[in-house]
Amino acid sequence: MILFEEVTKHYSTGTIALDNATFQIDNNDFVFLVGPSGAGKTTILKMILRQAQPTSGSILVNDINITDQSFKKTQELRRQIGVVFQDFKILHDKNVFENIGIALKVTGATDSEIKQHVSSVLELVNLPDKKFMFPVQLSAGELQRVAIARAIVGDRNIILADEPTGNLDPKTTWEIMKVFKKIEGEKTVIIATHNVDIVNSFKKRVMTLAGGKITKDKRGGKYEL
Amino acid sequence: MNSIFTSIKRTPYQSFGSLLILFFTLFLTLFFFNTTSFFYGILGYVETRPQVIAYFDVRAEEGDIVKIKQAIEKTGKTTSVKYVSQNEALSLYKKLNSDNPILLEMVSANILPASLEIYATRPEFLSEIAQFLEGQKIVEEVNFQKVIVDRLVALTKTLRYVSIGVFGFLILMTTTVLITTTAFKIAVKKDEIEVLQLIGASKGYIRKPFLSEGILFGWLSGTFAFVVHYLIFFLSLPTLKSYLTGIPQLSFFNLEELGLFVFPPSLLYLALTYVLIVLFGVLIGLFGNFIATSKYIK
Repeated sequence: MILFEEVTKHYSTGTIALDNATFQIDNNDFVFLVGPSGAGKTTILKMILRQAQPTSGSILVNDINITDQSFKKTQELRRQIGVVFQDFKILHDKNVFENIGIALKVTGATDSEIKQHVSSVLELVNLPDKKFMFPVQLSAGELQRVAIARAIVGDRNIILADEPTGNLDPKTTWEIMKVFKKIEGEKTVIIATHNVDIVNSFKKRVMTLAGGKITKDKRGGKYEL
Repeated sequence: MNSIFTSIKRTPYQSFGSLLILFFTLFLTLFFFNTTSFFYGILGYVETRPQVIAYFDVRAEEGDIVKIKQAIEKTGKTTSVKYVSQNEALSLYKKLNSDNPILLEMVSANILPASLEIYATRPEFLSEIAQFLEGQKIVEEVNFQKVIVDRLVALTKTLRYVSIGVFGFLILMTTTVLITTTAFKIAVKKDEIEVLQLIGASKGYIRKPFLSEGILFGWLSGTFAFVVHYLIFFLSLPTLKSYLTGIPQLSFFNLEELGLFVFPPSLLYLALTYVLIVLFGVLIGLFGNFIATSKYIK
């Protein structure tokens, strides 16, 4: 469970990225964060990852206050979270298997565990035959599927995706969203997006942000600004 | 290992620069280490020769000479004081001139002086001992290797200070270069480091390839410096030997009983210098990269 309590984030430039936001995302929930650029979507994802700290308020992830001064387990927190970026952030000198396996390797998984988990996740993202290919040999859609595989592999139960289809054509976008659909109900998924069609077709919880404030929070909602 | 080779491939000039500076440092360190050890070996060799010889008046009584001998021994500044009587001096003279009967006929024990051959514990005491002997009425002449020993002591001292200075400078220079090149490598891997941090990699996991690279570079440079140094040494060995005629072996800090010889270098000495230079290379490589990763990986 993720709980934001009166969270505010001011940047030193004076920008208010988030203004007194309070919300709760239950385990295995599927949430879209929508809103114009600068509305605070990425800030929410960054704060869950502890890449940014709130100016005030508190954030609880699985009942642990990650904004507490005494919280020192950022690495352990991040090992529960999988992240998908708009620009994929794939390691170019590693093949598909290694790119996915690294998410397990950093947690201290054994080679056989890595092999087993990576093989099953490659099936899920429909890339079993591209296992030993390098990023330069893959299309954008395949690269994003590798990134999703890296995010969901193993015990990572929170998946954060920041504009995961922003760089993709409509056909590939739908292929990617099908992958997210497959893990629906198994992991908590939070997707920040501008894509109206996707949000409207999924009919999931939609949190709308504007100027750092949550203006709407609706289950089965639509993309409405 | 793969990540190290990838890093070398990505930044070949920086890697070559790191290797070159490490090689240069280790080569010079080995040179200064061996030169200092060599001069200490020379000093040790000279110390094994009779360092002060006092010749007594031919009329001097043996009892008086023995008293002087005991007085010198009491100071605790000598390792041995050997009394050579007039008869022993004659035997030595005969042995040395056995091929010249005319010289032998002209000499008897009465005209040869008795002497004391003194070995000091430290070269610094030689002057003091010689002064004491010169003050004795029955002593006719005092010979001691003051000039040679003084020069050697001064030379080894200077060499030690120069070595420490050069060593300090080399460490500073190498560490700075290693930090700079590693910082560049970190910048090249910025995106990869960011991904690793976001998926929960520990600082140690992210640092490990850089530290391993430091160890590998240290080992490679140390080995290379060792090979080049001794290649030059063995090529110039005949010349060196011609300069050191009469000196059979020079020990490493008087550890001849362990089989440690600087000149010609024993196998054990070669093994010791190899281990030391590689260890030093590994430590400096590790240290430089540790500083760089601590500073640049947040």
